[in-house]
Amino acid sequence: MSVLGTVSSLPLEPQGAQILSQDGNAMVLSMGPQHPSTHGVLQIMLEIEGESVTKAEPEIGYLHTGIEKSAENLFWTQAQTVIERMDYLAPESNSLCYALAVERLLGITDRIPPRAQQIRVIIAELTRIASHCVWLGTHGIDLGALSIFFYCFDLRENILDVQEAAGGARMHPNYVRIGGLQADLPDGHVERLDALVKKFPGRMRELRALLQKNPIWQDRTIDVGTVTSEQAVQWGLTGPALRASGIAYDVRKAFPYSGYENYEFGVPTRTEGDAYARFVVRLDEMEEAMRIVEQARAALEPGPVMIDDVKVAPPPKETIALSMEALIHHFKVVSEGIRVPPGDVYQAIESPRGELGYYVVSDGNNKPYRVRTRPPSMYNLQALKGIAPGNLIADLVVMIGSLDPVFGEVDR
Amino acid sequence: MPSPQMPPIAGSAVDPPALRPAIQDATIERVAPQNVRARLEALKADGYAMLLDLGAVDYPQRVPRFDVVYHLLKLMPGAATVSQVDTPQRYRLLCGVAFEHPRVPSVVDLWRNADWAEREVFDLFGITFEGHPDLRRIQMPTHWEGHPLRKDYPLRGPARERSPRPQFANKSNLVAGTPPSGRTAEALAQQVRLRQAEDGRSEERVPE
Repeated sequence: MSVLGTVSSLPLEPQGAQILSQDGNAMVLSMGPQHPSTHGVLQIMLEIEGESVTKAEPEIGYLHTGIEKSAENLFWTQAQTVIERMDYLAPESNSLCYALAVERLLGITDRIPPRAQQIRVIIAELTRIASHCVWLGTHGIDLGALSIFFYCFDLRENILDVQEAAGGARMHPNYVRIGGLQADLPDGHVERLDALVKKFPGRMRELRALLQKNPIWQDRTIDVGTVTSEQAVQWGLTGPALRASGIAYDVRKAFPYSGYENYEFGVPTRTEGDAYARFVVRLDEMEEAMRIVEQARAALEPGPVMIDDVKVAPPPKETIALSMEALIHHFKVVSEGIRVPPGDVYQAIESPRGELGYYVVSDGNNKPYRVRTRPPSMYNLQALKGIAPGNLIADLVVMIGSLDPVFGEVDR
Repeated sequence: MPSPQMPPIAGSAVDPPALRPAIQDATIERVAPQNVRARLEALKADGYAMLLDLGAVDYPQRVPRFDVVYHLLKLMPGAATVSQVDTPQRYRLLCGVAFEHPRVPSVVDLWRNADWAEREVFDLFGITFEGHPDLRRIQMPTHWEGHPLRKDYPLRGPARERSPRPQFANKSNLVAGTPPSGRTAEALAQQVRLRQAEDGRSEERVPE
């Protein structure tokens, strides 16, 4: 069975934007997967008449990496590392949701230390702001507003600095762990956070000043990609896309987790349902997120950040030199992984893109039996099929941007 | 990766969700495939306006083998304030699907977003949704064989040669014991055998 010198005989798939067929006035066009405004790896099969789209069918799967399959073959704690890479713009949202799901299966939800919960909220909300920064920057570039990108990425960089100081990495810190957090905040971290909080309102004023009243921006986004509230529910939209269509459904309010019920925050809602409404809702959401960060920062109380349960979390490193039992528990948890009682659970959180849910099944093993993701990006992107027909190709770019898909999560 | 010296703990449950009282994250109900459509229509009429998610789980040793899981959300259209949204409710419908007849009625006409979700379950589990307007693979390439999220599908999957590779890459493929082209079911089965012979334990449960 030598494979040396084997040459592929498979037919090449059509790639890139090319004219595939012509039939009367309608033309079939493949947009992407290399088109820059498709944010990576989205292909949209379009039927167009002149400049107008008559049919649109997004083709996904170009970034399919089998994360759900990988997760089934890793320990409970290891699976988090691949799960965190689904929505790579808001990695800690994935981690948080997965950790919450496993904690419910373990039955330790009530025993997570309050300090860990407060820091989780801070991290989750900072992630939301950082993710919206990337969305706004790239959305702006898609529409030809280049300078907004630099303002957004500057703000995001500040947030990532704060995250890096806490978790040790910019993108995928794996800071939220099953049972609590990887470590406590380092010395001086709260001061960094305060500096960020202080700087934030000025930054938001700049972002709003650049675009919100900008007539070109308004021309491009108002009445483009309108989704009515009925359509939004039909297509299963969640997050800012749903709230811009007039439904104030927010998982943080509806099914509170990590102590969100203790914080005071609004749920920005608009009724227009167009790209501009989604833009304003996300900007408002960034400010509400910072309000939550401030409250969680004020509520921050000293204490442990990891559950005191040797079956879930290894005992502190310094104790293993002193106690035989701690050494054994540490060895067991690290080498064999934790075991989770059999059962199934659905846990959802409000990720920057909407309701991120994990349906986790355990069969009592040291590896997850099944981790089914409810990817908000996938459902949001799917709505493009319903809202694109009747619009111009140029507006399609606006719609993709305003639905904010992240392909790590769409394709998984 | 887990250390190869440490095999997974054996003796796992055949039907995990049945083993303990359900965690009350939703109203949970189990239906047979012939009733699932009528039940979903009734739930939609009852106000469960949004299909949150549709997924599947594979339990190879259980009869019926698959679970198709519907997550529904009760939500009032036009609820523009948090107080109007009130307390939304979730509903989880589990539908056991037999391995011999992996067929479920499609719900695309009830919820438009079931479209991609059903295609994904079809792609990764091989469950057919009857009445789906455009049932084809969504994540895996068109010519793929097998359904990767089934438990008897090996983790590394069959190797594919899409484009000519440098010689050393082909060699590394041989070392790994993967067939040159995994596009046939035979190659897939061979890979399972090779893998089992290699590590002497069955990490993936293979049906007889």
